[in-house]
Amino acid sequence: MNLRELVDSQRFCQGLTPGQCTGLAACAGERSFAPGDYLLRQHAVADTFYLVLSGEVQIRLAVPGQGVVTLETIGPDEAVGWSWFVPPHRCQFDAHAVLPTRTLAFAAAPLRALMEQDPTVGYAVLKTLVGTLTQRVQSCRLQVLDVYAPPGA
Amino acid sequence: MGMDATLPAPWRIAWRRPESAAGDVFTWAVEPVDGTGSSFLPGQFNMLYAYGIGEVPVSISSDPAGTPWLHTIRAVGSVTRPMAALKVGEVIGLRGPYGSAWPLVAAEGGDLLIVAGGLGLAPLRSAIYQALRRRSHYRGVYVLYGTRSAADVLFADELAAWRDGGQIEVAVTVDRATPDWSGEVGVVTRLIHRAGFDPATTTALLCGPEIMMRFAVLALQQRGVPDKAIHLSLERNMKCAVGYCGHCQLGPHFVCRDGPVLAWPRLSNLLGVMEL
Ligand SMILES: Cc1cc2nc3c(=O)[nH]c(=O)nc-3n(C[C@H](O)[C@H](O)[C@H](O)COP(=O)(O)OP(=O)(O)OC[C@H]3O[C@@H](n4cnc5c(N)ncnc54)[C@H](O)[C@@H]3O)c2cc1C
Ligand code: FES
Repeated sequence: MNLRELVDSQRFCQGLTPGQCTGLAACAGERSFAPGDYLLRQHAVADTFYLVLSGEVQIRLAVPGQGVVTLETIGPDEAVGWSWFVPPHRCQFDAHAVLPTRTLAFAAAPLRALMEQDPTVGYAVLKTLVGTLTQRVQSCRLQVLDVYAPPGA
Repeated sequence: MGMDATLPAPWRIAWRRPESAAGDVFTWAVEPVDGTGSSFLPGQFNMLYAYGIGEVPVSISSDPAGTPWLHTIRAVGSVTRPMAALKVGEVIGLRGPYGSAWPLVAAEGGDLLIVAGGLGLAPLRSAIYQALRRRSHYRGVYVLYGTRSAADVLFADELAAWRDGGQIEVAVTVDRATPDWSGEVGVVTRLIHRAGFDPATTTALLCGPEIMMRFAVLALQQRGVPDKAIHLSLERNMKCAVGYCGHCQLGPHFVCRDGPVLAWPRLSNLLGVMEL
């Protein structure tokens, strides 16, 4: 699949016109990471929106006193990072490839500009992002509930 | 069963194995003292009686094709804690097997998806053994397992062997990662979104804490698995285990007799309702 076909095959392109997909493809590139490589670094400028095509990525946070804690793992068809969308556009976590990982990487500034200019594109991308966020929030709530704890623990 | 269904028969603890680093989970292999065994279906449970202490329902976690029968128990309270202290060779009372089974035969021809949380892997292990023996009758077999942390992964060696064996796809995730864990982190519902099963032909078997199962059902529905293909194993306090006393009632169902395995359409209005 070439880059354009990859972009077209993403969920958010379904329902968009070829012209709108061209706009999205213009912000995108394919980027691969070897195990141990970082997609995002905590505190760095969040300038990229990644969609994982294959591989596995860990979201990690350095916690004083606990070292680096892995909060979740991200797999194929899932988005990595939303700080690129929300000012001040700084990464809150590390994202680190565990397996050889292929991604579709969108440059944040032109993507935001495109979403601003064409609300239909903006809405399509946001739907993907909100879907991801919903899953993550639900996961976090269940993790906080500690559902597997022994009764009375 | 060939015996009074409410009268425990003497069974001996043939061997015992700790299953958790904390020591609170253990497996018992039990054999009938008089030598006459019977058979069970994956998903069924027995009432185990610690003489003079009390009786609790526990699923059978072994291969239905083999003996001795295994029960994997977590010591949580007034009966299971004293059980944890019993020694190999001691005799307990056992009656059963009781209850409904996983629909493994009906699932043949399609994908089989097993979603287990925490100790919920125990009642599903017998289903996995059966599915492995009849592997060619299924398209794909997927085991998705979530638990609290690396130290809580139940049957870790077997999970690894199943994964390495290549006959079934196994994914394990933990809610809390410790430095010794390099696998997936996040709740088990996330694995449902990623697994490669075909929703239209899938039969899903779920066992774990009820909240986990509710969200797993939601994830399955989002993937397009039909409600009638989703089966859950439920736990309710039990006394008679044979449909007399009403202790295990959940809406119109007696979990001991109609369950513990029930299809989602029979449960959708009942789970999550307070006080049921
Ligand atoms: C069909 C069926 C199959 C089961 N299979 C297994 C199994 O394979 N392995 C296993 O370890 N357990 C299993 N259970 C659960 C087991 O029966 C209970 O853990 C046991 O009855 C607790 O008895 P107890 O007297 O030791 O604890 P209690 O003194 O009754 O309870 C101690 C504490 O645990 C809580 N509690 C009791 N039962 C449960 C429960 N089921 N879930 C959450 N909290 C509970 C109580 O509210 C209390 O806080 C099964 C239950 C059913 C109905
Ligand atoms: S335990 Fe008595 S009716 Fe179910």
